[in-house]
Amino acid sequence: MPPSANIALLQGTLELLILKVLALQAMHGLGISRRIAQVTNGAFQVKPGSLFPALHRMEEAGWLTSEWGESENNRRARFYSLTRPGRRKLKEETDNWGRISAAMAGALETS
Amino acid sequence: MRWLATIWRNLFHRRAVDDLLDEEVRSHKQLLEDEKIAAGADPETARREVAIEFGAIELIKEQVRDVRRGALLEGFRTELRQSIRALRRNPGMTIICVLMLALGIGASTAIFSVFEAALLRPLPFRDADRLVELAETQLDRGLTEVNFSEADFRDIHDRTKSFESVAAYDSFETNLTGDGEPEKVSAAQVTVGFFRTLGVNPVLGRDFSPEEGDARIAILGNRFWKARYGADRGVPGKVLRLNGGSYTVVGVLPRGEPWIDDQVYLPYPRHLNADRTNREFNVVGRLAKGVTAEAASAELRGLALLMQAAKPKEDEGLGFTIFPSRRWVAPEEAGTVLHILLVAVGLLVLIACGNVANLLLARGLARHREIAVRSALGAARARLVRFVMIESLLLSTLGAGLGLVLAAVCVRGIRTLEFAGIPRLDEVSLNPWVLCFTFGVTLFTGLLCGLAPAIQAPLEAVATALRDGDRQTGASRRHVRVHSMLVAAEVAFAFLLLVSTGLVLRSFQGLLNEPRGFQTTHRLLFSLSYPDDYAQDGRGKEFIDSFLDRLSADPDIVSSGAVSVRPLQGPNPGMGIEAAAHSPASGFPPVASWRVITPGYLRAVGLPLLRGRNFKQTDKPVWEERGQPMPSHRTVMLSSAVARLLFPNEDPIGKHALLWKGETNLDAEVVGVVADSLESGLDQGPALTVYLPYGRMAVPSEFVIESRGDPASAFPAVRALISHLDPGLPIRDVRSFEEVISRSISWQRLNSIVLTAFGGFALLLASLGIYGVLSYFVRRRTAEIGLRMALGASEWGILRIIVAQGLLPTLIGIIFGGVIACWLSRYLKSLLFGVRPIDLFTYAAVSALLLGTAALACFVHGHRAMKTDPAIALRLE
Repeated sequence: MPPSANIALLQGTLELLILKVLALQAMHGLGISRRIAQVTNGAFQVKPGSLFPALHRMEEAGWLTSEWGESENNRRARFYSLTRPGRRKLKEETDNWGRISAAMAGALETS
Repeated sequence: MRWLATIWRNLFHRRAVDDLLDEEVRSHKQLLEDEKIAAGADPETARREVAIEFGAIELIKEQVRDVRRGALLEGFRTELRQSIRALRRNPGMTIICVLMLALGIGASTAIFSVFEAALLRPLPFRDADRLVELAETQLDRGLTEVNFSEADFRDIHDRTKSFESVAAYDSFETNLTGDGEPEKVSAAQVTVGFFRTLGVNPVLGRDFSPEEGDARIAILGNRFWKARYGADRGVPGKVLRLNGGSYTVVGVLPRGEPWIDDQVYLPYPRHLNADRTNREFNVVGRLAKGVTAEAASAELRGLALLMQAAKPKEDEGLGFTIFPSRRWVAPEEAGTVLHILLVAVGLLVLIACGNVANLLLARGLARHREIAVRSALGAARARLVRFVMIESLLLSTLGAGLGLVLAAVCVRGIRTLEFAGIPRLDEVSLNPWVLCFTFGVTLFTGLLCGLAPAIQAPLEAVATALRDGDRQTGASRRHVRVHSMLVAAEVAFAFLLLVSTGLVLRSFQGLLNEPRGFQTTHRLLFSLSYPDDYAQDGRGKEFIDSFLDRLSADPDIVSSGAVSVRPLQGPNPGMGIEAAAHSPASGFPPVASWRVITPGYLRAVGLPLLRGRNFKQTDKPVWEERGQPMPSHRTVMLSSAVARLLFPNEDPIGKHALLWKGETNLDAEVVGVVADSLESGLDQGPALTVYLPYGRMAVPSEFVIESRGDPASAFPAVRALISHLDPGLPIRDVRSFEEVISRSISWQRLNSIVLTAFGGFALLLASLGIYGVLSYFVRRRTAEIGLRMALGASEWGILRIIVAQGLLPTLIGIIFGGVIACWLSRYLKSLLFGVRPIDLFTYAAVSALLLGTAALACFVHGHRAMKTDPAIALRLE
């Protein structure tokens, strides 16, 4: 895990990643963390201690919705999916991220 | 709206929300376990690995709860519930804390409610901060505040530019006759624009108009209107008979102190030749917008110089002075006393806070493990602090609730009190301002009580606490120190309060013990309101002669007499007086007050005649009587102090003095010297008094009777006699001489009573504090004491440890309290009489009292410690 000094940045990042992986399909918590590890090539190992607060915060913010469902191996699990505001948020945040990363990249190159 | 719904759900369906989270976490773990088993781990290992990966599940749940909406509220609610539970587990401590805080908060609320009514409530006038009172000064004669003469008022009125308007009133008493009992009422003649200057509009009818100076019309004060006319709205147009004249009521004023309340107002006629010597005008002014009082004073100084230049003889030494309108409500004394009481009650609150903090601290230590476990489970420090704070705020809120009940009872009592000099006592109430104050005090006490325990709570070293369990030896030293510091602070505050109480009580005692000159036992005073004609054609003298004659025939009455001014209850008419033989170049003559008396008066008030003779019926008044020749031979008696001043080292009998020196210069022979008395106030020293004989022109209306037994039981006969002689004569102000004296020192009495109560509470609270810290100390060190005794320490050695523990903070507190008291007590100076602010006796007595209390607590605990059985004590380990 990256150092904790980056928590503020990371929180936003984690939320963006969650939004992103949920954009394709509804998923339960473990699935989300596995998918994030997969798409970031293992750079982000999301532990329950970060995952649960993030999911609940996002659900309360109205970006996610959740319901009980059956997992692939027939276990009861809580499945999260994006809401309409969640999709809007994803688009906004993606644009934002593009701008920020471009800016950061530019800044780091010139100096 | 959505987030409101979320908060609602989080707060009020917490169980469901938490269950959901539980289930989700469980399913997550299950999935993880499945995954690991699928990867080839055996179930046991899988479960362990999952547990490790998850870490503290409670912590995760806590974190989820923290990000939820309403988490702050929720946390607050949980802590509140926990606090309530904790307080209920410890009912004894809770009750003591709440009682102490209720006492402090209740007392401070009650005092503040008086403070607010007397000092903070604005005057009922428009822009009252622009209103001022004006007075003349004659600084070269040492007179700093003299009423205006009409001519000076007119001069100022016509010339000043600093004031939007100035107006004057001249109050007097008059007899109201007509329907019902005849009554003496206070009235005032006011110049045009008086009410406009004050910024008051009549609630009924109209104001006087400028051309109505000579009209026979009247405006009624609100209270007068209610008392006399039952708030009849049809009163304008009715006719009032005052001193035989008829006045048509044209208006009624709104409610409001001072002045515009219990009076009748008449217009003041403008005289063509304004009087320059008669100084009876009280003047009020409304400063023009943007003009400061200083600027107005400067302008008045200039005008005074101009007036002096124009009339060097009459206006010699003339000056003017300005007072803020605030003092109309509360005299300066009231302000001082109320400020001091507020400070005193503040000290009481602080002492109570110290005690509560100590109790919370001791209790917090008893819950040492609980706190340690909480922080081991991941409770944040901020959260522990919040927890402690919420608990103490809860206590102070409970205290405030009870305190408000206490204050309400006090306020009800206060409203019925009658303390001359404290304004608006009957209007004291727990209004929003007072409640704001109470709220502030509650918050303050809550935070203050929680401060020490809150700082202490996170300091608990988790590991030590858990290892040591309940028997902390290392940590307890620091705790004892915090306790001792709190106790020292309490003792210091109590010292301050007790020293003030002691000083005030000693002054009060001194006042009561001051030799008064007159005797007060079995004596009764009352006033008669004569109609005007009593002073003119001799009817008054006839009445008084036959009245006193018949009284002396009454076997129950020992002596009786009459005087023009009741002792200790001014107004105090004065005159310049000088020995006739003196050279005129000796500067300004002393000013003495004068009293017209009947021959029996001296005996009736118990003033002995020191030299010469008393007045006889042949002594005539010093003034010219209508239809009589100018008195050729005037006689006076002097109080001993005046005699000493005028005729030092001489026998004053037979000498002549000039009365009203500088004005009418009446020559009179001194026939007697009367013992000194505290006529003008117990704290004023021997009064300079000149006694003048009564007569047809001068009929004294204040009576003193001395009876054989209880004067109140003799009075009905006196009353019957008066109504037999003149049925229409109103009798007023019937009081025992003792009561008159006690009313004259009502300030000091109030101060003494309240401070004594506060001082008593302070002592009680401080001794509770000392007792508590010792009890804590002994309990914590039982084991150590047992060990010492097992090793051969003597019982006295043990006692010495305890005494040192108890007396040290007390001593430190006394030293600090003493230093602060030396520094602060000068603010008490104006309230003290015969005692210096740094009075060694008081300081020593208070120190002894506090030390004695502490010593007592030490011996109680020391005794217990001495009886410790080493075997049992060591087993406690």
